[in-house]
Amino acid sequence: MYAFQYRKAKSVDDAVSALAADADAKVLGGGQSLVAALKLRLAQPSALVDLGTIGDLRYIKVGAAEVTIGAMTTHATVAASPELKKAIPALADLAGDIGDRQVRNMGTCGGSIANNDPAADYPAACQGLVATIITNKRRIAADDFFKGLYETALEAGEIITAVSFPIPKRAAYMKFKNPASRFALVGVFVAETSAGPRVAVTGAGPGVFRVKDMEQALARKFAPESVAAIKVPADDLNSDMHAQADYRAHLITVMAKRAVEKALK
Amino acid sequence: MSHDAFHGRLEDDRMVTGSGTYTLDWDFPDTAHAWFVRADRAHAEIVSIDASAALAHPGVIAVLTGADLEAAGFKSLPVITMPLKPDAMKPLMPFRPCLATGKVRLAGEAVACVIAETQRIAMDASELVVVEYNELQPVVDSLDALKPGAPQLHDDVPGNLYWDYEDGDRAGTDALFARAAKIVKHDLYNHRVVGHPMEPRCCTGVYDAAKDQYFLYSPTQGPRMQASMVAKVLDVPTDKVDVVAKDTGGGFGIRSAPYPEYCVTLLASKKLGRPVRWNGTRSEVFLTDNQARDFICHGELALDDKGKFLAMRFFIVANNGAYLAPTGLLAQTRSVTSCITGVYDVPVSHARIQLVATNTAQVSAYRGAGRPIMSMLLECLVERAAIDLNMDVVEIRRKNLIRNDQYPYKLVNGTTYDCGDFEGVLDDALKAADWNGFDKRRAESARRGKLRGRALSTYIESTAAGGIPDDAQLLFEADGTISLKSSSHSHGQGHETSFAQVVAGVLGVPMNIVKLRTGEAGMRVGGGGTGGSRSMVSFGSSYLLGAREVVKKGREFAAKELEASPDDIEFDHGEYSIKGTDRRISLMDLAKKYKGSAGEPHPLNSVGSGKWGMTFPNGAHIAEVEIDAETGVTEIVSYIAVDDIGNVITHALVEGQMQGGLTQGAGQILGEHAIYDRDTGQLLTGSFMDYPMPRAGMVAGLEVLDHPVPTKLNPLGAKGVGEAGCTGALPTLANAIVDALRPVGVTHFDMPATPQRVWQAIQAAKAGNPRALQTYTLEYA
Repeated sequence: MYAFQYRKAKSVDDAVSALAADADAKVLGGGQSLVAALKLRLAQPSALVDLGTIGDLRYIKVGAAEVTIGAMTTHATVAASPELKKAIPALADLAGDIGDRQVRNMGTCGGSIANNDPAADYPAACQGLVATIITNKRRIAADDFFKGLYETALEAGEIITAVSFPIPKRAAYMKFKNPASRFALVGVFVAETSAGPRVAVTGAGPGVFRVKDMEQALARKFAPESVAAIKVPADDLNSDMHAQADYRAHLITVMAKRAVEKALK
Repeated sequence: MSHDAFHGRLEDDRMVTGSGTYTLDWDFPDTAHAWFVRADRAHAEIVSIDASAALAHPGVIAVLTGADLEAAGFKSLPVITMPLKPDAMKPLMPFRPCLATGKVRLAGEAVACVIAETQRIAMDASELVVVEYNELQPVVDSLDALKPGAPQLHDDVPGNLYWDYEDGDRAGTDALFARAAKIVKHDLYNHRVVGHPMEPRCCTGVYDAAKDQYFLYSPTQGPRMQASMVAKVLDVPTDKVDVVAKDTGGGFGIRSAPYPEYCVTLLASKKLGRPVRWNGTRSEVFLTDNQARDFICHGELALDDKGKFLAMRFFIVANNGAYLAPTGLLAQTRSVTSCITGVYDVPVSHARIQLVATNTAQVSAYRGAGRPIMSMLLECLVERAAIDLNMDVVEIRRKNLIRNDQYPYKLVNGTTYDCGDFEGVLDDALKAADWNGFDKRRAESARRGKLRGRALSTYIESTAAGGIPDDAQLLFEADGTISLKSSSHSHGQGHETSFAQVVAGVLGVPMNIVKLRTGEAGMRVGGGGTGGSRSMVSFGSSYLLGAREVVKKGREFAAKELEASPDDIEFDHGEYSIKGTDRRISLMDLAKKYKGSAGEPHPLNSVGSGKWGMTFPNGAHIAEVEIDAETGVTEIVSYIAVDDIGNVITHALVEGQMQGGLTQGAGQILGEHAIYDRDTGQLLTGSFMDYPMPRAGMVAGLEVLDHPVPTKLNPLGAKGVGEAGCTGALPTLANAIVDALRPVGVTHFDMPATPQRVWQAIQAAKAGNPRALQTYTLEYA
């Protein structure tokens, strides 16, 4: 890696002012994407502002209608939370299958969402559960937050502090893993929410997206056969050595069907 | 021989607590750090190298280029050769520089070496070295490289053909084919993989000016073997180089020879008068470690009208990469054809292998070293014959196996199998796998929506022959331990345990007082390194003889001590006694008492030695797989391995070797694949983001069963096990996958069976193309 300054933030405000003072500084969450990029010399920030020492960003609050997760809560904590497993088991499942044990012990919910890797799992949960992303400045609906490849609605100096997930009637996440990286080649999050059924897909396109045809079919009947024949056009999907677009399109249907089956179990 | 219950390996505590001493755990004061500037393109002339900005960077000590190595008199990295028939083509062995001169021939080739006060400074400065290139068209596919008009890599390798190798009897084979009732043909591509030891290439080069001695600290499979090759590059006597190593984090054949960077750090150390350390990365493993496989294979089998094999012939094109790796000739030719007709009674056969230069990483020996190429080709060909001729896959094999009354059995190329029980091994496997119950299991899988397939494969391989005598020294130390010294260096196999067990078994002493020492500075013990599954066969046998020599020597001292005639002394469980009496003394007490004069070697010290020949481990493996046709995901659900590796010293270590070998084979079959871009020559699978490694649990339902037929070729009766799993796994799993896909219309499928490829094959078969995933077709020529 290239040399950089390292700074522990005392609070979110402290982090924001550090970022304001240095345009090339970057926020460090759990570091599971950023540190890897630094090691490969793919990123050259002037400074890292570490949120890791801000204790009040690490929590899981389960309410009657929603679950709120602090931005610096690790995937391992989310996966192991008994309250969350009861409220939204699909979300605990999803967190428990991110990366490997080491990644889950360091990687954070807020970091994953802010990074918006096109193959990350959390964005699918956010759109699938109609979540709200809470920052130091405002509340942003998940549908408005993710803007495609590594792009989000976050502005300069804006830091995610928490994510609020409404508790669905039922939900499930099915991930087809890239055989090498184990990231989602195609991940489909389905849920029956108070806003209607949701089908959110990660890994397959330049960013997370919803499949409205499937959502409408599930609104008529929440059953695997409702989505089994619905094809997603391959045109806008990712194509690479692990999965060409037609294979990815096919996998979306298969994973959606299996996710609905799982949600009904 | 001691067969006490296995209580774990002597090296385990060190390994699992992270207290091993790997290459970069050696620490030296005043160390400088090397970093290599690498070619960012696959084929180009070097117009100029400007290191001025790098040299001006604070903390940079020096920048070396190919010109500096030439000035220092560096020779080519060596290639191991072998005796040739008088009329055979001589292999063309172009110069392989440690830093590119004139031309770069693969992306990642080292062009310059920056040496600085810290690694980070060296890395920063390496980005300041400006290399001007005149770009050339690369060629990465071996058939493309053989075409007229293809880009030429080396002036002295016309047509990119390193070698056109032949083995067997062409005329005799053709004659039998001419009168065959049936001829079956099969093509397959044994695709390229990257070996991945846990420990990347790395080293510290230390030149001791006072002694005019080079010390190379590096991962190694054999310190003296490696030292001899480094000495050739430096153009100094072998004795002037010491390779020093304690723990080596994996080898698989690709840690047997030195790499260019190692030699550069030694020169740098000599120039600077400081140790020079290089901490290579995983990316550099991907780009420029020796790679493996990449054989385009064509096989033909001639049969009579009763299904008896008459002859076989093979035409194989091997992609050897931009340079010949040290084992690039041997492993790609003779190791492929040594067991040319497998376990089958086929008196006549022929093989031709062309070794081709391309703009890819050099290819070398890698677990199995050529034998998995032949086992896969042969067993896929036999499977094809069974399908084409509508014969039972077991019966076609059984009918053609070499019978137990045919030993010694001489193959067409002179290889002679000394012993075996191929039918017995086969029957054990069929029984353990519940062969006849398969239809029920297939139906049960189908109920869960899965395609189930299974296959039986036989294999046989030759373990690395003697070549030179392998010495084993047993030294009695003042602290009451026994040191074992030999030249084969463990890279994870458990030599410390195995050799201690052999020696402790003879001497009747506790295993933990027997200490194996291999890669120490100044150590000079004759013999080769580890490779070709040879260490137990050769060094194990030498230790056995050495230990017996100790017992013999001890008898004289015991006679003296017990005041009896040596003829009346017997030795049992570590103690000498006078026959029929209770007068006794232990070997270790004797050793303490009769330690000789100060400064002299202990009188019980002994050396065992032998030039142990090739042995022939063999087996029958049966795998069952399940394929999810909806997603293309393949899972191994059971794997029965019945192996004749001769006498088993420690079953647990054998099982470990088999697990590793099988999983390595499974890794290749299910996904590992080094893919180069055909236009740019760039490695597309250059990280673990794109290159799937096998994972623990990949080979589910694994059972490893021994069927020992002891060989008389060495006193242990052992045959070698290090590579057998890999050699057996490739054909077994490949055939099982095709068996699973056959009911949905797929008749040919080249590995790897990645989910996408399997899914594509199924879609293509539905659309009427049953061979869509076949990569190449060759004609025998």
